[in-house]
Amino acid sequence: MKLWRVVLLLNLALGAGILLGYLAWGREIPRLERAVETAREQSATTGAERTWSARGVVRAVLTDLNVVVLTHEAVPGLMPSMTMGFKVHEPRLYQGLDIGATVRFTLKGTGPSNLEIVTIAREDRP
Amino acid sequence: MTAVGMAIRWFHLATSLLLIGIFTASLLAGRSDRATAMRWEARLLWWTRRLVLLVLLAGLASLAYQSADVTGRAGAAFAPAVWLRLLLQTQFGTVWLVRHALLLLLAALVLLRQRERSTADWAAFRVEGWLLGAAAAAVAAWAGHAAAVQSAAPLPALVDALHLLTAGVWLGALIPLAALLRSASVEAGADARPYAVLAIRRFSSVALVAMLLIVATGLGNAWFEIGTVPGLLGTRYGWLLLAKVALLVPALGLARVNRHMLLPALSGEAATVGRPAMARLGRFLGWEAALALLILAVTSALSLTPPGLHESPWWPFGFRFSYADAAATPGVKARLVIGSQLALLGLLAAVVGFLLRQRRGLVAGAGAASLAVGLWIALPPLVVDAYPTTYRRPAVPYQVASVDEGAALFRANCARCHGPGGRGDGPEGAGLPKQPADLTGAHVLHHTAGDLFWWLTNGFLRSGMPAFGGALSETQRWDLINFLRALSAGERARALGPLVEANRPWLTAPDFSIIVGPAPARPLKELRDRWMVLLVFFSLPESRARLAQLAQSYESLQFSGTEVVAVPMDGGAHILKRLGGKPPIFFPVVTDGAEEIAHTYAIFSRTAETGPGGRPAPAPKHVEFLIDRQGYIRARWIPRQGEAGWGEIKSLLDEIRILDKEAPSAPPDEHVH
Repeated sequence: MKLWRVVLLLNLALGAGILLGYLAWGREIPRLERAVETAREQSATTGAERTWSARGVVRAVLTDLNVVVLTHEAVPGLMPSMTMGFKVHEPRLYQGLDIGATVRFTLKGTGPSNLEIVTIAREDRP
Repeated sequence: MTAVGMAIRWFHLATSLLLIGIFTASLLAGRSDRATAMRWEARLLWWTRRLVLLVLLAGLASLAYQSADVTGRAGAAFAPAVWLRLLLQTQFGTVWLVRHALLLLLAALVLLRQRERSTADWAAFRVEGWLLGAAAAAVAAWAGHAAAVQSAAPLPALVDALHLLTAGVWLGALIPLAALLRSASVEAGADARPYAVLAIRRFSSVALVAMLLIVATGLGNAWFEIGTVPGLLGTRYGWLLLAKVALLVPALGLARVNRHMLLPALSGEAATVGRPAMARLGRFLGWEAALALLILAVTSALSLTPPGLHESPWWPFGFRFSYADAAATPGVKARLVIGSQLALLGLLAAVVGFLLRQRRGLVAGAGAASLAVGLWIALPPLVVDAYPTTYRRPAVPYQVASVDEGAALFRANCARCHGPGGRGDGPEGAGLPKQPADLTGAHVLHHTAGDLFWWLTNGFLRSGMPAFGGALSETQRWDLINFLRALSAGERARALGPLVEANRPWLTAPDFSIIVGPAPARPLKELRDRWMVLLVFFSLPESRARLAQLAQSYESLQFSGTEVVAVPMDGGAHILKRLGGKPPIFFPVVTDGAEEIAHTYAIFSRTAETGPGGRPAPAPKHVEFLIDRQGYIRARWIPRQGEAGWGEIKSLLDEIRILDKEAPSAPPDEHVH
């Protein structure tokens, strides 16, 4: 076979290879990244019941709703730092909690939409 | 170490470009059956085989150098683990792999070559070689500065790739063509003379286009990597670039002589006519090639120097041009308009003159004269003093902590002469040769931060301003400058009111950390782009009713895109407890570092009013600032008897809506300037 044909064929093969490779895998990358992202979210939102622990500061105690509002640090694997209200497992827990008190608390549940404070204790002296 | 790196880069670059050049020269010359031409081609092929191996070797050397460089240990140069990490996990590695895959293909093509029988085979081999070599060289752009300065934008890397490619076509082809001319100029090579003349003619046209492209893409590169005149004149990167241009000018001059004087002398078949010209042309091409190799040496130095964009320039002149200072003087604008028009006209005439065939000297000369006169009219009013540090970038960002530190330094070192408020009325200022400057004036904003840095460091000995270069550290001097900026801006901020002036941001909100209890500190800046901010400075008990009102309206404020951040004016100790839970407050209330923030923003809290007896009005107990999404303070409300302001949330929401509808402006600089 003549050299120019070989060269042309090789270039075509290279181009076709790159194109096919892109079609087969290159376009998959964004989809896979999205899949990983949703899987990560799901692993945080669903699944078995577990507990998390973090520190926060008491912003409000809403006894009629049975909710304590905390500005808390990031809860690893659950949520970033934010101000948010949490249901309290039993009313006894928020007795003696003053506004502005620094606390360490434990959350129990299956994800951000299903959480309860099971322990909460002051870190600073009252 | 750097010298080794430079040598490796230079060798890598030179061999890569020479490979492109050899294929370019061979393609331009075309196929021939003359003995001398065939010998020349054979020699070129012999060289390509060596060059491909040399480029691959240089590639390995550059990998070793990079390994030693990133780890900081010379011993890591040949550590397989470092190589692997570099190749698989960095942009440099990806580019290296692609590049050397292409070069391996080229090596296979060159080393496995069979003798071509047809012209199609002949062309296929060279075109393929050129393509592979060009691709390998161009890919390097994605591992250089061009890709690094703006990694998201593809344009700088593309421009750089084109720069490399055209450099290969022009500079790389010089050596093989010089060799061809030499062989053809001797008696034994007379048979290849028409062939050589044809090759050099074609090259001359291609080189003209390549040169224009090199200059254009080089300008593009300079723009992306330096961006400013001080960056060009005041950084090492800029100086190297100027050196490169200085070497390019004689190369272009030689090219011009070749094209316009020696090339015409080659015409005519007679061996005796063409021969001396051909020998001289070959020599000139050789010199051009030598200059090209020097240019490549400077280029490799450039590739190892941080781009001017990232350096603090050192200004080499005692003056600079500033429009902002001159614009206020009457008559200057007219001079500017007339001068700039004359200069522009002159420039146009000069360019046209060069393109003319007749009366070139006359038109170009008149153009140059008009340019000079225009500049002479326009520039002098713009001249202001400048110092080596004029374009230095502040080492400390414009943040509350720095401004507050600067304020303390000001009280300790400057207030004696410049006065506690910076008005130049300090007790010890009266006896000085010159009255101390009023630092609250707008003129402070016209000077660059670098100017102020120079004055602080070196003083004005004749007027009595001492030098603080020895007494204050560099950081302390920048802190002071940040404070001076806030002071001068605060003077202008006296006129701030509760109404937003649409599309006119000017007052940068100094950044600070929002710390609420144990939650991690969050910079105010982090809210940019997403939130407007209502920054509330409050005192208890005066602000209690207002805070309750904001707490109740928090949802509608958030719904309108506004975050509320509250800062206690009298320190943050137990502030949440003191605020209590009725009504509950859910917006961030700063519990740590509140004093620093309150001190700095107090500079922006003064009004034009004076208190009883002409003294400054007492500091307000409650101030609210509205900050737009870019980080500019846009409006301010200080509650007062008989004034509505933002007393009703509805009127606050009206102002927020104006900000919400604005097109985003450029974000404020991290640093004062």
